[in-house]
Amino acid sequence: MKIIIIGAGDVGFNIAQRLSEENHDVVVIEKDPVKIRSIQNALDVQALEGSGTNPSMLLEAGIKESDIIVAATDNDEANLIVCFYAQYLTDFITKIARVKNPDYMKHTEIFKQDFLNIDLIINSQSEMVASMLKLTEVPIASEVIDFVDGRVKLIGITIKEDSPLVGRRLSSFHEYEQSILVGIIIRGEKVVVPKGEDVIQANDLVYMVTRREDIQNIYQIMQIRREGLSRVMIVGGGETGLALAESLDTTTINTKIIELDGQRCLELSEKLEKVVVLNGDGTDRDFLIEENVDEVDIMMVLTGDEENNVLISLLGKALGAKKTVTKIAKLSYIPLVFTIGIDTVVSPRLSAIRAILQYIRKGKVVCVAPLKAEAVEAIEFEALETSDVVNTPLSKVKFPKGAIVGAIVRGEEIIIPRGQNMIKPHDHLIIFALKDTIPKLEKIFTVKLEYF
Amino acid sequence: MHFRQIFRLIGILNFFLGLSMAAPLCVSLIYSDGSFAPFLYSILITSGSGLIAFLLTKTSDSSSLSQRESMAVVTFGWVSAGFFGALPFLFSGSIGSITNAYFESISGFTTTGATILSDIEALPEGLLFWRSLTQWMGGMGIIVLSIAILPFLGVGGMQLYKAEIPSPVVDKLQPRISETAKTLWKVYLLITLLEIGLLYVGGMSLFDSMCHAFCTMPTGGFSTQNGSIAQFNSAYFEGVITLFMILAGINFSLHFKFLKGDFRVFGRDPECRVFLLILAILILLVTSNTYVTVYSSVIEAFRYAAFQVSSIITTTGFVTANYEQWPAFSQIVLLLCMFLGAMAGSTGGAIKTVRIVLLVKHGYREIFTLIHPHAVRSIKLGKKPVPPDVLNSIWGFFILYVGLFIVAVICMSALGLDTLTSFSSVAATIGNVGPGFGLVGPINNYLSIPDVGKWVLMFCMILGRLEIYTVIILLVPAYWRK
Repeated sequence: MKIIIIGAGDVGFNIAQRLSEENHDVVVIEKDPVKIRSIQNALDVQALEGSGTNPSMLLEAGIKESDIIVAATDNDEANLIVCFYAQYLTDFITKIARVKNPDYMKHTEIFKQDFLNIDLIINSQSEMVASMLKLTEVPIASEVIDFVDGRVKLIGITIKEDSPLVGRRLSSFHEYEQSILVGIIIRGEKVVVPKGEDVIQANDLVYMVTRREDIQNIYQIMQIRREGLSRVMIVGGGETGLALAESLDTTTINTKIIELDGQRCLELSEKLEKVVVLNGDGTDRDFLIEENVDEVDIMMVLTGDEENNVLISLLGKALGAKKTVTKIAKLSYIPLVFTIGIDTVVSPRLSAIRAILQYIRKGKVVCVAPLKAEAVEAIEFEALETSDVVNTPLSKVKFPKGAIVGAIVRGEEIIIPRGQNMIKPHDHLIIFALKDTIPKLEKIFTVKLEYF
Repeated sequence: MHFRQIFRLIGILNFFLGLSMAAPLCVSLIYSDGSFAPFLYSILITSGSGLIAFLLTKTSDSSSLSQRESMAVVTFGWVSAGFFGALPFLFSGSIGSITNAYFESISGFTTTGATILSDIEALPEGLLFWRSLTQWMGGMGIIVLSIAILPFLGVGGMQLYKAEIPSPVVDKLQPRISETAKTLWKVYLLITLLEIGLLYVGGMSLFDSMCHAFCTMPTGGFSTQNGSIAQFNSAYFEGVITLFMILAGINFSLHFKFLKGDFRVFGRDPECRVFLLILAILILLVTSNTYVTVYSSVIEAFRYAAFQVSSIITTTGFVTANYEQWPAFSQIVLLLCMFLGAMAGSTGGAIKTVRIVLLVKHGYREIFTLIHPHAVRSIKLGKKPVPPDVLNSIWGFFILYVGLFIVAVICMSALGLDTLTSFSSVAATIGNVGPGFGLVGPINNYLSIPDVGKWVLMFCMILGRLEIYTVIILLVPAYWRK
């Protein structure tokens, strides 16, 4: 496939990287010569210097022969203009635009209709809010990913040193077979596709697949009583903070939102009903103590200043917040901050990248979720009748090393599989796979035929 | 101050007030009750004086009214309407003294429903009709009526409208103020007609149906019977009147929206929900309190409690039970109702639910800020934030209401009245309720109050009807300074 990407910022760069690694032809258009040079050095893509809002530039990039155009600049209007040109210049191209302004998001139907005809509008903020809300459903998790409309959940849990799971063999969980499956263990920089004899260690990040209704089993395994999430503290009342607070406003969760600017506080208080709006500085230790940060279940730090976000999260943890979620835009920071004790990171750019990749890889790949460290993905495949894997017990299927079936979805039924389970045609499979095994998997499921 | 302009507008108002007396004139013709001549004279004097005022003040100065001037127009307009409205009582000889006639007239226009008449049934039909009509016109507002029918008032109309209906939440239903006024009057008329129909179907005479509907919808409370509604002793009439009293206590813009097809508007409006909730709770409390102690069956207790609580809280003042024989708890509930009042934008009086709701929310915010010193909290009505100046004005209203209430109670007690009478007569007049406790209780009337006391109470009625500010501002010296 030929893909044009407008803008080589964090989002554009990462998408270009991922797609070129998957053997797509990528053309990147970027104004900044410095970024052009760095992209030329790092990636096997064609980099053109110029503006994406210039139609002749788009023609030069070969828009007429391209399959997909991704407008991924930081400027909403520029992205929309790019799609407008694309619509004018060629009929068959798939258009993906990144849009940040929440006012635009309220009327996406305007952009999706014939005038602009955008195929996918990515709003990283709403994706971020959605992922934070999922975290509030399973407070012990550091990551929650939904498959099949949320009926299957992939839950990532960081194992603390005092956890009862430390030192346990995976095979000792046989009583939970059919309801929980440990898919991937991330140990430092290493990704382990686990087998029965593997042992869980402290500080592992363990990804488990389970049905929505079986989540309590995870609590059982962890030997903690399920305590509903009752207190959330949001630091930073920007658009993301407000959107999250508005979603929590309708729940029974006690929510506090802290904002530095007094005028903004007034606006927040007018839009929120139960959420307590506090005018103060999130870096102020006494202020956080006064507002009982030690009883907070999740502290969501979402200010516009990412360095501050890291510090506030660390301060919150030091003062007793059970868990923190930190907003970090710069992707280069993300691997770094886990080592200094940040639990969970949300990133508008990462959210945008995930959403765009999911869409580009559609076909029979229904859902893709790059997990932490990005070396491994959870992919939802549909098993076609033509595939070799159907009607064979799983233990006999020649899966590539580094791939594991996490769940089989057969209509209403969800199977957490064991070796003797069979795959039937049209089953949806949720598979964990290391990045380099993906082409092999695609071959097995003959998905590639479906691409075009 | 454009005194000419003010005088002119009041002249116009009087001219139309005189014309409205044509209705009781017709009634007196039908019944040939002997009140034809008094009405004829009243019409001539009222309309004549209005016309003269209008012609004398012919002015080229067509500048519109300022907010200050419109307050003078409204207040003096009401005072003069009360004066001319008293003429038929005086001319017919039904009420001898000027004080008493004026009291009856002001009590009518302000929809208080306090009477000085001991034998109401002795009045000629024409006068009975006039009493009801004053209430009906006063309920939606005589100024609003003039705005509705006199389009040439123009821009000044908005100022007059705000001075007469000073609701904290302004609901302009139509782009133009005269259209808004017309719309409200149409809704008002429609509901009144519906009530007349329902009462008539139940067997009340057409005359009584009209008189009672004219006094229910403005939450007035005048009856054609000595014993008020109790005299009919009909559960059907009581039920119909209870229903329409509650309807009259609801914001008329909600009725308008309902009639336009938005059937869930009552449940959605935050003030309406609170009002109906308070009403339900108080009815329940009084029912359980009067059951056994006064009434032998629950249904009977409910029947009287529902009527009486609705009547007092909407500030109507109809009576079906001598609530002075009820236990103290129920009496206290009714006394409380006199202060609560119905919804803003209704025809009811007193403090009104929206103000109570906002005062409570404001109070809670103060407590909340003690717990979270850094908290920022907006006071909202439903989902709409209430601006701080509105809150300040509500606090001001509340302080003035209570302050003036206390001053008036002191005046009444200085005249030698007992505690209960002093207290309840002021509460019942400033809240435009009507009957109170003690000497002015449900089976008594205001005749026994000394004349000075009656003037104090009349002042309270106008204060309450125009919601304090419009009247009290005229007493502030700074108002008159250039």
